[in-house]
Amino acid sequence: MDLNEENKNGKPIIDIEHIAKIYQMGSEFVHAIRDITLKIYKNDYLAIMGPSGSGKSTLMNIIGCLDTPTKGKYLFKDMDVSEMTDNDLASIRNKEIGFVFQTFNLLARSSSLKNVELPLIYAGVGKSERDDRAMKAMENVGLADRVNHKPNELSGGQRQRVAIARALVTEPSIILADEPTGNLDSKTGLEIMNLFNELWKAGNTIIVVTHEEEVARFAKRIIKLRDGLIENDSFNHHQRITNDTSTTSSVTNQ
Amino acid sequence: MKLSEISENIKIAFEAMSVNKLRSLLASLGVVIGISFVILMGWVLSGLDQALEDTFNIIGTDMLYIDKWDWAGGRNWKKVRQRKNITYNQATEFCEKIKNAELAIPNAREFGYRIKYKNEEFQGMTFIGTKWEHSLTPAGATFIGRHFTQFEDDIGSNVIVLGYKVNQALMVEGDPLGQYVKIEGRKFLVIGVIKKQGTMLFDFVDNQCFMPIKSFQSVFGKSGRSVSIAIKAGSINNLDEVRAESEGLMRQIRNIKPGEENDFSINETKAFESTVEVLRLSVWSVGIGMTVLSFLVGIIGIMNIMFVSVTERTKEIGIRKAVGAKKRTIWMQFIIEAAILSFVGAIIAFIGCSALVYLVATFLPKFVPETAFLSPVLPYELLLIASFVSIFVGMLAGLIPAVRGANLDPVEALRREN
Ligand SMILES: Nc1ncnc2c1ncn2[C@@H]1O[C@H](COP(=O)(O)OP(=O)(O)OP(=O)(O)O)[C@@H](O)[C@H]1O
Ligand SMILES: [Mg+2]
Repeated sequence: MDLNEENKNGKPIIDIEHIAKIYQMGSEFVHAIRDITLKIYKNDYLAIMGPSGSGKSTLMNIIGCLDTPTKGKYLFKDMDVSEMTDNDLASIRNKEIGFVFQTFNLLARSSSLKNVELPLIYAGVGKSERDDRAMKAMENVGLADRVNHKPNELSGGQRQRVAIARALVTEPSIILADEPTGNLDSKTGLEIMNLFNELWKAGNTIIVVTHEEEVARFAKRIIKLRDGLIENDSFNHHQRITNDTSTTSSVTNQ
Repeated sequence: MKLSEISENIKIAFEAMSVNKLRSLLASLGVVIGISFVILMGWVLSGLDQALEDTFNIIGTDMLYIDKWDWAGGRNWKKVRQRKNITYNQATEFCEKIKNAELAIPNAREFGYRIKYKNEEFQGMTFIGTKWEHSLTPAGATFIGRHFTQFEDDIGSNVIVLGYKVNQALMVEGDPLGQYVKIEGRKFLVIGVIKKQGTMLFDFVDNQCFMPIKSFQSVFGKSGRSVSIAIKAGSINNLDEVRAESEGLMRQIRNIKPGEENDFSINETKAFESTVEVLRLSVWSVGIGMTVLSFLVGIIGIMNIMFVSVTERTKEIGIRKAVGAKKRTIWMQFIIEAAILSFVGAIIAFIGCSALVYLVATFLPKFVPETAFLSPVLPYELLLIASFVSIFVGMLAGLIPAVRGANLDPVEALRREN
């Protein structure tokens, strides 16, 4: 089944053709990604699955312009990423991409509000607008009362929400989450997935890397990687969609 | 570069430093020492400059001094010593005959005599017999009272004008005017006190007392010493002409045959410039070596700590890059941190040196009078210089670590544990 045919709502945000990522380890070459072709459209909700070492994170980093492919073509909103300078890539990461990591990756010494503001600082947004937007993002993830807490004063789930707020604050074209529930217990993990669900319903485009079927169930489309190749790319007929607007209480209702 | 990025980077730098206060302090120790050297050198040099200028002001830049002795010193010491004295008669003849000068006055001088006031006695005084026109030269300006008059000069009155320090020593509180002092058993009426003029180079002037030359001769005898002649050219433009005339006239008076060397010296303030130049050079050569050395240590110290800082914050760099920090933003973050580290070192140095300089300038001259030229406050230019130098040094030291941090691969950086 070709999902790219199904998505006809305009041009893809991400258009990857035959990319490969090869690392050289001494005299050996490691093919982290062998040959992947992939299109992602607006308001897609994609889960990337696969065994450890299959290239999920590598693909994610390339999509997020943190890394560049060794071979192949990558068009981000029709712009050729291979021709971009480091500054252009930084700018894309800043404005178009929102990262959410397994280990949260918050600045330990800064308050959660400050963490959420960080992308806006690099975007050159002025102080008062920055505060407003960061505050709104914190409200969106249900943490309006935790703005002055530092990461170590928050629970794991709360930290991940701060990270999601940081990813959202620039209103990016796409949110990339690499095992966002990997460091959380299953209840908290579900809370986070409910939050992604809400964001997706609000029109965001989301890619989630995960090992867990439970997590992948939330996605509209599931890709399975193996040895740097796409093994399977299919529509999720059992997509789990929650109806709650309240993100914290939604889990218990399921 | 956006303002929000710069202010963010300055905040990050202060945060990073406050986390590791002691380490930051140790890292900037080299800069503290280096900047201290710069400040202290600047302080001594500016003191020397001031001393030179003060000296010029006393001697007068349009003044020439004909003397047996050569102020520039050194060179022909033996030859100079063998010169015949300039007699009082020769000096008077010169003063009468010179045409282009505004003033020409003979000065007879005796060292190491005692002065007595009431029951107190002071040693090591210098007495100068001169003409009333001395009051018209910079060296003759009085602080209180007056100089002696032409009449007192003509009749050889026993009146005396005290040097500033002599007055201080003799009459600690009272009014000196109208008091009598005793020199070699003779009574002199104090009529004035010369303005404070002493500088490092010319400290002894404040210990000199002036009297009419006739009175001087009756106390110390007529002959047996070399008399010097102070000549005021009137203006610096006139100096060459007056110098030429003086030389010719003096050669004629001293019967020097054509082709023979002068057996006298024509001294002027330039001689002091070269003395100061020698001092300045020695301050430089001692100071510059130590400064360069401590800056090297400072640069290595800061560079080292910045490498540590970059390594410790690799993960942070990864996070910042992932959310859109550009290379130059990261680069600047570390350059600013290094510059601030170094700048704080400079501020510490400046505060430390201010205290030191104040103490030294207040107390040292009491034991070593030659150091009286040192000012108790640092010139504010030195704060500017110290700031610029330290920021430059910091940026230099931070450059390589900053480039290393900026060039970190974000994926690699994010993989780090810390
Ligand atoms: N910097 C690198 N140098 C060499 N090999 C690398 C590098 N990064 C990744 N690889 C290799 O590329 C392959 C894919 O790695 P990747 O991190 O994408 O796997 P993954 O699917 O995310 O695995 P996991 O589920 O364990 O996170 C692995 O074999 C890994 O060893
Ligand atoms: Mg991975």
